[in-house]
Amino acid sequence: MQLDNKPSPIEKIKTASDGLRGTLAESLQDEITGAVREPDHALIKFHGMYEQDDRDLREERAAKKLDKLYSFMIRLRIPGGLITADQWLAAHHIAGEYSTGVIKITTRQTIQLHGILKGQIKPTLKSFDKAKLDSIAACGDVNRNVACASFAPQMAAHEQVQAFADTISRLLLPKTRAYYEVWLDEEKIEEYDETDPLYQDRYLPRKFKIGIAIPPNNDVDVLTNDLGLIAIIEAGELKGFNLAVGGGLSTTYGNAATYARLATVIGFVSGEENILKAVYEVLTVQRDFGNRSDRKLARLKYTLDNMGIAAFKAELEKRCGFALEPIQPYVFEERQDVWGWQPDYKGRWHYTLFVENGRVTDTEQLPLKTALLEIAKTGKTNFRFTSNQNIIICDVAEADKPAIEALLQQFNITAQQQNLSGLRKNSMACVALPTCPLALAEAQRYLPELISKAEALLAKHELLQEEIVLRMTGCPNGCGRPYAAEIGFTGTAAGEYNLYIGGDRQGQRLNSLYREKLQEPAILEALDFLLGQYSQQRQPAESFGDFAIRQQWVSA
Amino acid sequence: MLAEPRLKELQNWVASYSKEELIWINGYLSGLLAETKTTTAAKNTVAKKVTIAYGTETGNAQKLATTLAAQIKKTGLPAKLVSLEQYRLADFEKEEFFFAIISTHGEGEPPIAAKKFYEHIHQNGFKVPQIKYGVLALGDSSYPLFCKTGEEVDNQLQHLGGTRVVPLQKCDVDYESPAAEWFNAVLQQLQQKEAVATAPTVAPAIAKKPATKKIYTGTILTNINLTAQGSTKKTYHIEIAAEAVDYQPGDSIAIIPENDAAIVEEILFRTQTDGAQTVQWKNESAPLYSLLREKIGISYLTEKAVQQYATITQQTIAPQRADLLHLLRQYPLPAGTPLLDVLAQLNPIAPRIYNIATTPTAHADEVHIIALQDVFEVDGQQQTGLCTCYFESLQEGDAIRFFVQPNKRFRLPAADKDIIMIGPGTGIAPFRSFVAERDATGATGRNWLFFAETDFTTDFYYQTEWQAWFNTDVLTKISLAFDNHHTGITTIQDKIKEQAHTLFEWLQSGAFLYLCGQKDPMSKEVEAALLEVIAQAGNMSASDAQQYFEQLKNEGRYMKDVY
Ligand code: SRM
Ligand SMILES: Cc1cc2nc3c(=O)[nH]c(=O)nc-3n(C[C@H](O)[C@H](O)[C@H](O)COP(=O)(O)OP(=O)(O)OC[C@H]3O[C@@H](n4cnc5c(N)ncnc54)[C@H](O)[C@@H]3O)c2cc1C
Ligand SMILES: Cc1cc2nc3c(=O)[nH]c(=O)nc-3n(C[C@H](O)[C@H](O)[C@H](O)COP(=O)(O)O)c2cc1C
Ligand code: SF4
Repeated sequence: MQLDNKPSPIEKIKTASDGLRGTLAESLQDEITGAVREPDHALIKFHGMYEQDDRDLREERAAKKLDKLYSFMIRLRIPGGLITADQWLAAHHIAGEYSTGVIKITTRQTIQLHGILKGQIKPTLKSFDKAKLDSIAACGDVNRNVACASFAPQMAAHEQVQAFADTISRLLLPKTRAYYEVWLDEEKIEEYDETDPLYQDRYLPRKFKIGIAIPPNNDVDVLTNDLGLIAIIEAGELKGFNLAVGGGLSTTYGNAATYARLATVIGFVSGEENILKAVYEVLTVQRDFGNRSDRKLARLKYTLDNMGIAAFKAELEKRCGFALEPIQPYVFEERQDVWGWQPDYKGRWHYTLFVENGRVTDTEQLPLKTALLEIAKTGKTNFRFTSNQNIIICDVAEADKPAIEALLQQFNITAQQQNLSGLRKNSMACVALPTCPLALAEAQRYLPELISKAEALLAKHELLQEEIVLRMTGCPNGCGRPYAAEIGFTGTAAGEYNLYIGGDRQGQRLNSLYREKLQEPAILEALDFLLGQYSQQRQPAESFGDFAIRQQWVSA
Repeated sequence: MLAEPRLKELQNWVASYSKEELIWINGYLSGLLAETKTTTAAKNTVAKKVTIAYGTETGNAQKLATTLAAQIKKTGLPAKLVSLEQYRLADFEKEEFFFAIISTHGEGEPPIAAKKFYEHIHQNGFKVPQIKYGVLALGDSSYPLFCKTGEEVDNQLQHLGGTRVVPLQKCDVDYESPAAEWFNAVLQQLQQKEAVATAPTVAPAIAKKPATKKIYTGTILTNINLTAQGSTKKTYHIEIAAEAVDYQPGDSIAIIPENDAAIVEEILFRTQTDGAQTVQWKNESAPLYSLLREKIGISYLTEKAVQQYATITQQTIAPQRADLLHLLRQYPLPAGTPLLDVLAQLNPIAPRIYNIATTPTAHADEVHIIALQDVFEVDGQQQTGLCTCYFESLQEGDAIRFFVQPNKRFRLPAADKDIIMIGPGTGIAPFRSFVAERDATGATGRNWLFFAETDFTTDFYYQTEWQAWFNTDVLTKISLAFDNHHTGITTIQDKIKEQAHTLFEWLQSGAFLYLCGQKDPMSKEVEAALLEVIAQAGNMSASDAQQYFEQLKNEGRYMKDVY
């Protein structure tokens, strides 16, 4: 397959980086630019950061003889998306002080701050550190934030599963202390051994993602991960996990070798030690067999398809020293967040709040950021981010619920949530413009408007309450998982999108390309037709995605 | 030449004198050393008390005064050389021979250093009948109020009862030869037994043929605001196309701004005056509207002009400066008083100076300037300065009039010398010219820029150009300070101090040091910081550092253009 086996330039940067330190210290001192040096671009990712620039301003600044407006996006590592009220308060204040002020909940249950200037990285990370939060390995060729089912635990086993997110995240952290030295100004510890048996000095060939689902809810979109763990619970007891490998969504326009792929379930593993061992060895197989010359073909999904599933499984079992057990039966019935107040098995309450595209900010209509601040100030809750970019005000004692409820009412949250259409509540958009350097079109700045227009059509076709999953991204990388939606849009150029339909509602079937390069009028025309047909001809309980397949608008 | 202990002795001795005293001593010594006729001349002369006082902004008057003092010294007279800035006003009434060399600045105003003296002599209530005086006026005939201050001082000393023993000499930019003539007249007077008053009716001498400066008319190529969204300031970068402009890196241009159309229209409307009529104003005859737009200074009238307005309109107005329109609104013209009577009292629009940010070598037929919009409050209302308001109106293709204001004391050194350029804010302009010149000519000296502004992300003037020069090693080093800079350093002084050792090393190896930008408080703070740096990195006492700094100046290795 690969004719040219020359390692990609990033490989050299990694091995030469002295434990991810590179020239970061020098980069921070370069006076003339707000950017970091070229090789450090790749390295800061491993520290949870991306260098970006405001693309809206590029042209204007060039005319003014100003360099691009460089700033940094910092993504935290929050396994399973759970933080305390104090940590939310910290994030709130840090966002206000050093970033654009918007807290962006991502599709992998963590938060991002944008617009942090080079000189503000250290203060930002130091402040997060005080709040016991970090951004280590939130990006880069390592294991990323571990996603996990977020709904209110209905039994102790659910909490046990959620605890795995943190355990796995810590297990797979790089060993280097560069983060502490470069950003937190901590002293080098001479006797500390940085030898990293997992990542060595070359790290993984590419990013690596792990998600954990608790059937029948697939809120984490488990099959889109490099490694999915599907919890098997019997009679209230956690038996172990089915392992699903090789999920990944990104495609590249015009590169036929790239494709979106759902993970393949290859077996079952039980017992904490074995579970962790199996997870660990999936990474080592990817480390040793993954493609290090073409980053477009370096994700586990390609490694797996190159090796073949049987060979992959054999290699994994060899490294584990035990065989995987047969796949245990499981069923996914839904994928959405469970809205509003839900009780858990301990009698505590969890309020799931739809956050449009994960952007926590105050608007005239909805003072969401202030509301969450006031709620956090009560100290009576924790906060959990969901894989659908939403937030759960969680672990509220029965006695404290009225106080929280009062705040939700006071800040207009309750009323706002009740008036959302089913389509909007099940929608997601990635960041895209103006910060994402890869964006070809708008996403989170545009989707709310498009949905408003689509709502007129939904009203016309009496589908306003229908919970159709719609997702949009600004490019084919798929950060908002558009290929796993019933209706997916991927940007192709400014104001232009490809339209995908036919994904199922539970996240077990990818959608397919229906129309290319549509502009808004054509999008609305297409939606009008599709929704009209759906409204008139669907069978009871038939989802839009399934209907699209039955109509043979696209093939499954 | 001197043995170590004697040299040390001399150095200590030198350190104990002020700069002015040293300049005097310098002249004194050169007088002593000159010719032997010194002593004979001295014998022929009756002992007299002579003071040479100078008022300068950019140093020309000082240079001439020093030369004159030295020449007088040669004749054996103890001439006292003093800057009007340090002049004890109480001494004035005790003067015998008093020769003033003074330039004109601003809009026909005295140099800031001479302001106190200027105001003092314009006070009533005292006479100086014993004074025998002469005035040498420096100026530039491209300005409408040519040598105004010199003229006024000359008149006022007579008014105070003084005897003019040497006629007023007005000098244009080529001041050397008229100044030399005037010196001769002074020396002659001093050598006479009795001073002879020059008849007051004698017309003051004027520089023979003022070499009229070329007024260029350029075309606006680009007029952009260099600062980005979110900045607290607006900074015009103006590119002017003009062929064969004769200038060198370090020079400035003077721009003759136009008054705002809306203001002119309101003035005409309020006074019910016809703008289309052709009228005579000073020496010009033109439609009133265009005179008001292009010639007549109607903004920020001097206190004197405001009082004249009060007189003409028969109203009482507290002493103040104000725009004409402001006066017309608050103290309207009485019926029957024509606007022209008021206009007759006003001065022409004064040109504004901007450092040139280009070099003929690298930017053929183009002149660029950078100007900070001057915003201030008048009665709680935001207003912008005349010239920067004019810049706001300039569009691509518009014509703009300007002349070159050379600055011989702000020049690049030989190509192999290192330069350190300190130019916060718009002070960066000449350094863009310097670096472009050195880039274009392949000069081998190292180039180090210090720059400071408010916001790193929005106010880093010419950032991409500096980056390009830095990345190609034309710019050797750049040191920056911003309120939000990632190095944490917010002021230029702190940046200079941070770089103390390297900076001193550069100076030790012969670097030339330049400073451009705001006079107050920037240039003072920078100079204080430089002294600290020299003392600290050179391991010197404060007075040694001061002396080191003076030495730099004397060697022409410290040059500044501040405003
Ligand atoms: C914030 C987030 C989207 C959101 O709106 O929530 C996001 C944002 C970005 N993603 Fe993503 N990705 C995000 C989830 C995803 C997902 C969905 C998921 O993981 O569930 C995918 C598809 C799944 C997959 O990995 O296959 C995804 C696939 C990509 C890719 C394509 C990877 C590939 O295999 O080719 C890139 C580009 C790359 O890595 O070269 C990318 C790159 C990016 C970058 C960092 C752009 C860049 O490389 O410079 C985007 C930053 C934009 C910005 O300004 O903030 N992002 N990205 C999500 C952060 C998740 C997290 O907390 O870690
Ligand atoms: C040698 C030299 C070089 C220079 N180089 C540059 C350069 O490169 N770039 C640059 O930007 N500038 C430079 N300057 C300054 C420049 O010449 C102007 O002085 C400046 O741009 C302000 O001009 P203006 O006509 O806009 O303001 P003006 O109208 O002249 O106003 C100047 C000030 O007068 C006061 N004022 C004016 N009108 C009123 C009123 N009605 N009421 C109360 N107060 C009032 C305000 O304090 C105001 O700030 C330089 C100056 C000199 C002497
Ligand atoms: C900002 C500025 C304003 C000036 N205004 C006048 C003026 O109104 N009338 C005039 O005759 N000369 C004017 N000049 C010219 C100076 O008087 C002339 O350059 C003189 O040689 C300066 O002497 P100095 O260095 O001793 O100050 C001006 C020069 C500058 C820089
Ligand atoms: S999908 Fe594309 S545009 Fe959207 S955030 Fe990811 S990389 Fe950027």
